[in-house]
Amino acid sequence: MKRSIGEILGKGAIRIPLILWSLAVLYPIFWMFLGSFKSNAEIYRNPWGIPETFNWQNFADAWTNYNIDTSVFNSLIVTFVGAVLTLVLAIPTAYAIERLKFRGSHFLFTLYVSAMMIPMVLGWIPLFFLLAQFNMLDNIYGLAIVYAVSQLPFTIFVLTSFMTTIPKSLEEAASIDGMSPYGILLKVITPLSMSGIITVTIMNAIQFWNEYFMALIFLQSNENYTLALAIDFISSEAQYTNAWGTLFASLVIAIVPVIILYAIFQQRIAKGMTEGAIKG
Amino acid sequence: MRGVIPHSILFIICLMAASSFSIEKSGEMVQSKKQKYLFLAFCLVPTFIMFSIFTLYPLFSGLYYSFFEMSGSSSNKEFIGFDNYIRLFNDDIILDTIIHDYFLVVTKVIGIMIMAMFFAVALTQLKIKEAPFYRIVFFFPNIMSVVVIGILWMFIYNPDLGLVNSGLAFLGLENLQRPWLGSETWALPSLVLPSIWAGIGLFMLMLMGGIANISKSYYEAAEIDGATQWQQFWRVTVPLVWPQIKISILYIVITTLNGSFIIVQVMTGGGPNNATHVMGSYLYQQAFVQFNFGYGATIGVMILVLSLITVMILQFLLRREKVDY
Repeated sequence: MKRSIGEILGKGAIRIPLILWSLAVLYPIFWMFLGSFKSNAEIYRNPWGIPETFNWQNFADAWTNYNIDTSVFNSLIVTFVGAVLTLVLAIPTAYAIERLKFRGSHFLFTLYVSAMMIPMVLGWIPLFFLLAQFNMLDNIYGLAIVYAVSQLPFTIFVLTSFMTTIPKSLEEAASIDGMSPYGILLKVITPLSMSGIITVTIMNAIQFWNEYFMALIFLQSNENYTLALAIDFISSEAQYTNAWGTLFASLVIAIVPVIILYAIFQQRIAKGMTEGAIKG
Repeated sequence: MRGVIPHSILFIICLMAASSFSIEKSGEMVQSKKQKYLFLAFCLVPTFIMFSIFTLYPLFSGLYYSFFEMSGSSSNKEFIGFDNYIRLFNDDIILDTIIHDYFLVVTKVIGIMIMAMFFAVALTQLKIKEAPFYRIVFFFPNIMSVVVIGILWMFIYNPDLGLVNSGLAFLGLENLQRPWLGSETWALPSLVLPSIWAGIGLFMLMLMGGIANISKSYYEAAEIDGATQWQQFWRVTVPLVWPQIKISILYIVITTLNGSFIIVQVMTGGGPNNATHVMGSYLYQQAFVQFNFGYGATIGVMILVLSLITVMILQFLLRREKVDY
């Protein structure tokens, strides 16, 4: 009896840090949502409380006066093109490395995987000139290509580990039925690795949607800004204009898609990230 | 791209690609060798070319750039040997940026590992009903954009409106109030908390994965031997999740050395008075604000070398006999 009382008390005590940390995580996020509905005057008067009225003016301001509409559109394109291009480049290579035995397959895999550990910041300076030469500097499609290639190592790594689980007999059967290797890749392997493809694509898409630094280096004009850059711009403006409400509204616009994806694919995302880190 | 050497590097990479992709003799496949070769090339070559152009070439070319004085455009460069490296060793700010980076590495490793370990043990060992809720909440900041995290925390640290100073006022500790990010002493330590806030979830899940694999019988045996909870933690849990602990530490170190400049750039831009510059943000400033691309590349080489050395040293320090009970 004595012991169980101790355990109950222990559990109560252990919950205190858990609850405190949950508050530390959730409160700033809730507060950002609340702030997006407050007028500037109210933000100064009552920065951390519930808004008096919920008005959408900040969103309208951000959307029209601060070109968030263009940035959302740019971010959507970069995310979509980047994610699709990553798959187009990664699926055939992952399949070849995993299933077609060729000399150097192990070396090639090691080369791709070790690129995950290399600080790419060194490469960004030459990449800047390379993009300038290809006329892809300050171009969202150029950025999408850079993004796609930057996520190749991780994507190939995740996809090969998914493809190992596909039984070889399925490919052999398709081959006996006269299917070409291209057909096998497209109609057998790709559908069977769909679970891995979805996981890795969600993670790549979140990565591209959130990315800031490469966009900062490779994009220059306002009309090409992605959402992360536009927000950074509003944030530095707000130091002088005090347009905090607009800033919060744009933060909310940036985070809502991520929250929705997380709500739907929470387990996939968490599993994908931990396994990516552990095996890498 | 205009120099002769970058082109030859690209050429060598392509040659390497071509030679390493030769296929092995296959047994009794019906399709001809040529078709098989074509399919293999279809799978590997386009991807490898893209990877070479946008990853391998820039990395090698970054090494090459570090021996040049270049400002403005790539056609405008002059070979200066090791002058950039000499400048690097004589640049007072460089040493500060290295110290700042390693300050972030050490504080983040300690902060994240202690808290992630505590939460991981709490959520796995004690049967708490709402454990999935904590897991979901704690992980969420890991997928937030650094821009959003940075701006949110800039506001938390805001001298007038911010949560930290308001909280201190509420507790009657006005004398502890500071312009956190505006103070040369406090700006860098202030960057640690957002990084921990954003990082804990991932490492908590990694450690939980390890703890979940520990057989209950070890704890039962330890219990019978009269080991306290604390002893059980140090003698059973820590040795058995050591692989996860090691990977977590390495991962924190690598991501901090290769990426701490992002949050620095968003929150302070390296200021006030260079007090928060890390190697990466200083590279950005030198290369893309002041257009000293050659010197920027030299800083990049330093980041590469330091992170490789650090990882090797850590792997040596963290090696430990594999435990089997």
